[in-house]
Amino acid sequence: MTSDYKRFALTRAGQAVVVVLLAYVLTFLVISVLPGDAITNTLRDPQHGLSEEDIQRIVTFYGLDQPVIVQLLLSLGRFLTGELGFSLQSNLPVAQIVGDALPSTLTLATSALLIAIVFAVVIAYGAQYLPGKWAAAVRSIPSFFLSVPNFVIGLVLIEFFAFRLHSFTTTDPNSAVATLFAAITLAIPVSAPLAEVLIASLDHESRQEYALVARSRGLSEAKLFAKHLVKPSALPSVAMVALIVGELLGGSVITETIFGRDGIGTVVQKAVTGEDQPVLQAVVSLSAVVFVAVNLVADLASPLLDPRVKLREKVGA
Amino acid sequence: MNILNTPEFRRRAFFAGLGALSTAALVSACGGTTASSTTGSGTPVDGGNITFLIQGYDTGWVSSKTSISSYEGNLWGQITDKLVYVNEKGELSPWIAESWEELNGAKDFVLHLKKGVTFSDGTPLDAAAVVANLTAWAKGDSTRGVSKVGLFPSSNFVAAEATDAQTVKVSFSSPALGFIATLAYHGCILLSPKTLALPVEAQADLSQEIGSGPFVVKSWKQGDSYVLEKRKDYNWGPAALGHTGPARLDTITYKVIKDTSVRTSTVVSGQADVAFNVEPQEIESLKGQGFTVGTPRYLGFVDGFQVNTQIFPTNDPAVRKAIQHGIDREEILKTVYTSDWSAATTFIQGNVPEAGEFSDSFKFDADKANKILDDAGWAKGADEYRSKDGKTLEFTLTPNPYVPSTKAEDELIAQQLKKVGIKVNLKVVDVAGYAAVQASKPPLFQTSRSFVDVGTVAGVLTSQNKGEDWFGLGTSDQKLNDLSTAIATASDRTSREKVADELQQYVLEQGYFIPLNQLVQRLYLISPKIKDVQYNGLAYANFYTAWISQ
Repeated sequence: MTSDYKRFALTRAGQAVVVVLLAYVLTFLVISVLPGDAITNTLRDPQHGLSEEDIQRIVTFYGLDQPVIVQLLLSLGRFLTGELGFSLQSNLPVAQIVGDALPSTLTLATSALLIAIVFAVVIAYGAQYLPGKWAAAVRSIPSFFLSVPNFVIGLVLIEFFAFRLHSFTTTDPNSAVATLFAAITLAIPVSAPLAEVLIASLDHESRQEYALVARSRGLSEAKLFAKHLVKPSALPSVAMVALIVGELLGGSVITETIFGRDGIGTVVQKAVTGEDQPVLQAVVSLSAVVFVAVNLVADLASPLLDPRVKLREKVGA
Repeated sequence: MNILNTPEFRRRAFFAGLGALSTAALVSACGGTTASSTTGSGTPVDGGNITFLIQGYDTGWVSSKTSISSYEGNLWGQITDKLVYVNEKGELSPWIAESWEELNGAKDFVLHLKKGVTFSDGTPLDAAAVVANLTAWAKGDSTRGVSKVGLFPSSNFVAAEATDAQTVKVSFSSPALGFIATLAYHGCILLSPKTLALPVEAQADLSQEIGSGPFVVKSWKQGDSYVLEKRKDYNWGPAALGHTGPARLDTITYKVIKDTSVRTSTVVSGQADVAFNVEPQEIESLKGQGFTVGTPRYLGFVDGFQVNTQIFPTNDPAVRKAIQHGIDREEILKTVYTSDWSAATTFIQGNVPEAGEFSDSFKFDADKANKILDDAGWAKGADEYRSKDGKTLEFTLTPNPYVPSTKAEDELIAQQLKKVGIKVNLKVVDVAGYAAVQASKPPLFQTSRSFVDVGTVAGVLTSQNKGEDWFGLGTSDQKLNDLSTAIATASDRTSREKVADELQQYVLEQGYFIPLNQLVQRLYLISPKIKDVQYNGLAYANFYTAWISQ
């Protein structure tokens, strides 16, 4: 078991590194084939009125006149040594831009994830134990959450809680209350798929024999839910964690824009519209690292948690 | 890859109207309380803090690299000074340069500087510092990745030298009538020589950007908020602003809020004092509630189309003329904009002193447009569109993504031109795609650009002297070459005004440029209690004289 597990862990870790590198190269190539190169975009803005000579000078300074493959190798080399370069738009070090934005996004995403889990559990519990037509209504909440655009939720919350009730001010979006409402905005769409999976597995588990037996012995529904059903039902939801990480990042772009928070989402948006290659490259790589790391941890943990998971099958796939 | 094309963003665009509606509801709900407070006491008071909501600080702080965007320009305007001030009418007046002389047929200039001016790091703003700035604007420094200032007359710049501590002599190899005006441009901000000597990466650090303006940067968080504090020893503002001594406000906080409806609602609800760029459609209702909406015009080209004369179908002068007369600009103003916008009278904005009145050459007249096309052999087919030699009279328009309202504008133009038998296809792209469209030289390219001196116009019309060749003519139009040269090399303003007149008439009559309207690109929503905000000729708000009424 132990040598098998070591081999499994090493292979998975190696795969993870390859995935990150591939994401890096792919991002680089995709940015390179976008219409209108970065230089055209940032320097040929008609407002600037720079001459061809000036543009050429700047292009040479940044080494952007090299063939794509040379640029890629240079960029990859820098990435591997932890050097992220400078933003084409602001000339600030990319590490500083990302470093400045990260704490705000982490706070938002973590709070949103916690709130989403609470929402999902409450919805799933309601769907399971409320009387008939109420349960049916609760069951439709996840699809409702998915269909209301994120920014509408944000604008409505801001209008009522900031402008009417004065619970927080939009000019201080990093205050605890403002963060809470931003997190709720982001949690609503994130909680939807979680709740759906949780409802489905609760449905499944509650029909299992052990649940029927427990119930027949007079165990209350609340105790049954908390003691027996939650744990097995949660497993499929945990598997969705990678999907949720993606949802959190995507949703943060809009939530941060609406609430005026500075964060990774807005950094991405700026970098995409400005084709700021070094920044975009760094953020995509960072997301890939987070994504892959979360999956790696989940994969490495599952055989330890559940002995039925077979190592060979996983490796051999 | 492009986030703007994801379903999330398309959905967002679809619901943008909903957001605007909720703002409108809020705007009307909060209205009554503020409407009465417009008439405060008229005597300015010192002190107080204001919050200015802005869309973003995206392009960084290197003033000479990318010139200055609307966002940076707002902040730079408070922390730096310029040599010359330009007001909304394009009139120049002294600032750090107390007076100037124009010698030798506008080839040499002498600037006499104000005494006792210092940068906030204590360095004197003397002749040596001005020479360092002028040289940086004219030449940049390629070894450090620092570019020159876009509009500065650099091709004929010879040198700037300090003749004494308060006097700078600047020389050009040919007449540079636009030189003094350019000193008022928002790229020509005076920075401490220490800042100018920094590598480009260090220049991107706002805390190292040292100016001599009425405010200094107190603290900042990139992309989030920027707090400016008044300089108590400041005493060298432009005389034209009618105020001496330090600024009246204690601090200005620039706060980034990207969403337009949230910015507007935040000011309306009293949580902030000024918002940059509100929706034009909301101006009337906001004014009705006592809010000030500043809609200053900038000096420069109007909103309109550069025409590529080398490509189908605009290589036919008749088509160009038909487009000139086929567009109903009044309808555009009424439908897309508000009474704060005005019709173009030529292809440069009306506040440029040399702007003429040539509306007749592009007046809306559908009958005339139809007749021009009939006479040129463009016959209407069964589908109501015209064609000639088997080719349909059609082209593709791409709205300018830098000016969001141009999408609605172009949709309307497509409908209007359909009535004279011209088929207009619309292609909406983002900023990146727009650069590619420009590179492909389409028949009509929507443009808008600011300048401070009409002499700059010569640099874009043809390809002579490394010009931008806006109309694809190269140097084939001898009359245009001559007029461009005459305006660029004029050595006195009276003769240049005459040439400018002739040039405007010629360009419009040839249908080389199709004007739409005078552009307002910088809008300011201001709380009724903020008084005496002034605007310069580039439509930037100046808070040096602003104060808060009780």
